[in-house]
Amino acid sequence: MWVTALVSGIALGSFYSLIAMGFALIFGVTHAFNLAHGELVVLAGYVAYWLWKGWGLSLVFTFPVAVAVLLCLCLILQRLFALLREPLELNSIVMSFGLAILLQNGMLFAFSGDYRLIRTPALTEGVYVNGLSLTYSQIALVALSLVAIGLLHLLMHHTYLGKALRATIQDREGAALAGINVRGMGLVAFGFGAVCIGLAGPLYGSVHYLYPAAGLQATLIAITVTIFAGVGRIRGLIVGGWLLGLAESAAVILLGSSWRELVSAVILIGLLVFRPRGILGREEG
Amino acid sequence: MERDVPRKGALPGLERGIPITLLLGLVFLPFLARSSGYVLQVFTHALLLASLALAWNILGTGGLISLGHAAFFGVGAYASGLLSLKPALSPWLTIPVGGLFGAGLAVIVGVLCRRLRGAYFALATLAFVEIPRVVTDNWDGLTRGSLGLVGLPGLPVLIIGPWRVEIGSSAAASYYLVLSYTLVVVFLGALLWRSNLGLALQAAREEETAARAVGVHVDRYRFLSLLLSAFLTGTSGAIYVHLTRYTVPGLVYSLHFSAVPVIFAMCGGRFTILGPALAALVLYPVDQFLFHPLLPAGHEFLYGLVLVLVVLFMPGGLWGALRRSP
Repeated sequence: MWVTALVSGIALGSFYSLIAMGFALIFGVTHAFNLAHGELVVLAGYVAYWLWKGWGLSLVFTFPVAVAVLLCLCLILQRLFALLREPLELNSIVMSFGLAILLQNGMLFAFSGDYRLIRTPALTEGVYVNGLSLTYSQIALVALSLVAIGLLHLLMHHTYLGKALRATIQDREGAALAGINVRGMGLVAFGFGAVCIGLAGPLYGSVHYLYPAAGLQATLIAITVTIFAGVGRIRGLIVGGWLLGLAESAAVILLGSSWRELVSAVILIGLLVFRPRGILGREEG
Repeated sequence: MERDVPRKGALPGLERGIPITLLLGLVFLPFLARSSGYVLQVFTHALLLASLALAWNILGTGGLISLGHAAFFGVGAYASGLLSLKPALSPWLTIPVGGLFGAGLAVIVGVLCRRLRGAYFALATLAFVEIPRVVTDNWDGLTRGSLGLVGLPGLPVLIIGPWRVEIGSSAAASYYLVLSYTLVVVFLGALLWRSNLGLALQAAREEETAARAVGVHVDRYRFLSLLLSAFLTGTSGAIYVHLTRYTVPGLVYSLHFSAVPVIFAMCGGRFTILGPALAALVLYPVDQFLFHPLLPAGHEFLYGLVLVLVVLFMPGGLWGALRRSP
């Protein structure tokens, strides 16, 4: 049982890293605290569900559509966040709280409050290795999340654009002085964030039930992992995602599945209370 | 900084006129709306939400934005509901006890979050709601878990000398009870605003470092304001649960009760005494009478939209915009 929990913890955790990746990138570059992040993930999941159920599209082909929809939405979002005045972090958190309510009600209107799951036979089957069962959906979760994060890592550390993004994360004024277009970097960050969300959404719809209010949980997960890792630390995001996934698996085994939702909230409060410095990771260099 | 400081309004007539007209309207509403129980019900709920927004704003005065007041609301509702069921205490007693439970929870929040400010305090409170919600959902033995509380006693009987008013069974009496409770909260808020506590909170909001430098015990005052805010929020929750006589964890610990006070306070004006109540009395009926029939699912998008627009274009809120106009 513990091995199964380990496997599902790592699989979910990889997925959590992907959710956190988009949040961390947007927050790191623009300092916009997007509380509607989870709602966007759920919305991407609904887009995939709608294509899968209504149009009979294979899950694989829902990813590009979800990414395209999210790119449009994040472009609008970026314009909204650019309108905010100081203090940016507080104002963005309050405004995106409003956006989250807006999106939740929009989804309630469009997709009703029923619980929905993308359930394809290809995903629920699996392979058995030495008595250890791996479902294809778990393999897909790990593979897709790690590939996406790996590509982003390459981009961040081996291209000129990545260098500029990292410079903006570290010091916005300094980056601007060095001739980096900080606003342009914000746009790029929202773009890559949208890609992460667009990839995470269909995956979310195939492992968790979709319902309009599900986004809060995803938002809490994204923020928890981001604060744990510090912004712009991609390896930290993976470790953080795995630890959170494992902690949730352990909670499900020890306390029961109804306590799972508490894990990210408690860890988030703990991180905020005992490690308030860590969010931008400045002290760590 | 001048924009946020409370001062005599540029429109003194309006500033006195609106509250007085409003109060008269509210007092006589049951006579005007005698034929429609629905109208009265909506305004009872609007007044309750107004008290919630005012209670939230006691904390907001000090510059802290909580996105998790549903925690206090829900604890107050559950404490009062459970006590009125099992030891079958009178709601007269259990409603303030519900408030005390809210304040008790606030002690934990206040101690844990004493060093958090701005976005981080908001984030911590948002996450905090999950704790009482999941605990209530799972502690079947005490709270009946996800089955919720049913058959709660309604609002109690009021006996004044020879008169006996069954508040629970009369829509108008319920309305007047909630109206008087909201007026008490307005009165407390106004008292607080002019007290040393209120001044200290406003100073801490404008310039915390400077306030500390002149010897204001910022932490102590903020903690007190959190306790008071949570007590009143818990009391509102307790009144709510006896009005509806039914609840489940997902109802009272919902995002709705966290969001609504933020929206009303931001929209009405976070730095005013009456603004939050005014916004509640306008927005909630608009939502119920206009948007609910049009869009049975998703009508609350209105609240999200209003919050986004207010943050972007009207940071002082409606009342603030009125005051600033020449």
